[in-house]
Amino acid sequence: MTLDPAVVLDSWPLFVAGTVVTLQVSAIAFVGGILLASAIVALSFSGGWIRVAIQVYLGVLRGVPFIVLLFLVHFGMPFAGIRMPAYFNGTLALTLYASAYYSEVLRATVLGLPRGQWESARAIGMSRSAATRHIIAPQMLRPALPPTVNSTITMIKESSVMSAITVGELTYQGLVVQGNTFAPFEVFIAVAGLYWLIAFVLSRVAVAVERAVATGQGASARRNAIGERYLALDARAG
Amino acid sequence: MTTPEKPERLPALRVTGLKKRYGANTILDDVSLDVPAGQVVTLVGPSGCGKSTFLRCLTWLDPPDEGFVEVEGRPFGREVGEFGSVRLQSSREVDRMRPRLGLVFQQLNLWPHWSVRANVEAPLRIVLGRSLEEARGRADDLFARLRIGDLADAFPTQLSGGQRQRVAIARALAMNPAVMLFDEPTSALDPELVGEVLGAIKELALTGMTTLVVTHEIGFARSVADRLLFMDGGRIVLDGPPGAVIDDPAHPRARAFFDKVLSRRSFISAKPMTGEQA
Repeated sequence: MTLDPAVVLDSWPLFVAGTVVTLQVSAIAFVGGILLASAIVALSFSGGWIRVAIQVYLGVLRGVPFIVLLFLVHFGMPFAGIRMPAYFNGTLALTLYASAYYSEVLRATVLGLPRGQWESARAIGMSRSAATRHIIAPQMLRPALPPTVNSTITMIKESSVMSAITVGELTYQGLVVQGNTFAPFEVFIAVAGLYWLIAFVLSRVAVAVERAVATGQGASARRNAIGERYLALDARAG
Repeated sequence: MTTPEKPERLPALRVTGLKKRYGANTILDDVSLDVPAGQVVTLVGPSGCGKSTFLRCLTWLDPPDEGFVEVEGRPFGREVGEFGSVRLQSSREVDRMRPRLGLVFQQLNLWPHWSVRANVEAPLRIVLGRSLEEARGRADDLFARLRIGDLADAFPTQLSGGQRQRVAIARALAMNPAVMLFDEPTSALDPELVGEVLGAIKELALTGMTTLVVTHEIGFARSVADRLLFMDGGRIVLDGPPGAVIDDPAHPRARAFFDKVLSRRSFISAKPMTGEQA
């Protein structure tokens, strides 16, 4: 057999549209997932029923295949009277799914910091939130970055499952082109290449960021450390 | 030795009936202690006697099960309410009192993402709400006093052990504490640095700062401290002037401890090679 690149090139607008949607839903799930995970991790250090609720949340999300979670949200919510477009439901499911994985990353990062960092902040009189913001969070960036990138690449690939509920992302557009052209090899080689390209660019960006953070004695980090982070505080007691 | 305290003055630190258990183990068994302002106290004892736990309970990092801590007469962590009921303070109240106790950790726990200057100034800004000018002035005073002015823009990882210790002291002192607490300041150090670090604490003690040092350094206790406490099995079993306690310990466990510590020290000084193994 021969591969015919024209099949792919003729349909380029669909591939571009699919890539854009994949990037969109992934970006939203990244931001939402990190925010959710930060809250989850902060709360997971409290005791009682909150801790139990978080364990249940994480246990369920990690124990269920993404496609099942997606079906639960997309086909289940209308029965609860919530009727939303597939794009919304897919993004919501992906955000929830990502939040579970980011929670693991962030929690492991926090636990990996020396306990004395937290204790010296608290012993000098910083509140829990001040110690978190000024002492713990800034030190999390470097160790959290590589596993976060890993989880994000997994999450981007997982977003392809949304094609099952007709979200117009990259895999879905691939199916459309394939249906029009009956050239599955060409189409899905192109789709695979685009996923690979996204992951490649992302990991390159991550390496650059990592380097900038690691050589933290450099210009911007140094300015930050010497003053700006705490100079910018609104100074108030308590 | 012990300066006669004025009767009307409240002790800088008062501990009453402190108890701490972990499961079935009693770590602190009814510890009470008054430290008058300006006194330099050393707390010694065998490993596992509860001395580090004592500091952690005192600073409310590990709240004690029972007992009270007062700093300059103000209750810290737990207090007796209006009708004699015992009440735990809110975390806000605890946080507000915490700067009054200047704790220097064994591992120092400087914040590595901040410069020396930020390590000292940021708590002043964040916790005490001082203005930038005030914080800077206070930090510069302390840097000069501790002779670390030229290190202000360095990062903690770039400093030697002795320099780091001085930064940790500056950070705690900046908050203007009523009492300085040191948790085994020399036991994680290269033997060559022990003298330097003890020197820094001695300088501090000579300024009249109320100081409590948990240490194994009997020589330091003898030359600097006003008072020596010996702890064993979660209790303070000896309390008196360091010379008298060390030379004639009226407690069998303490006698064995001092014998061992003093003979080990002479062994080390007789063979300088052992100093390089650390």
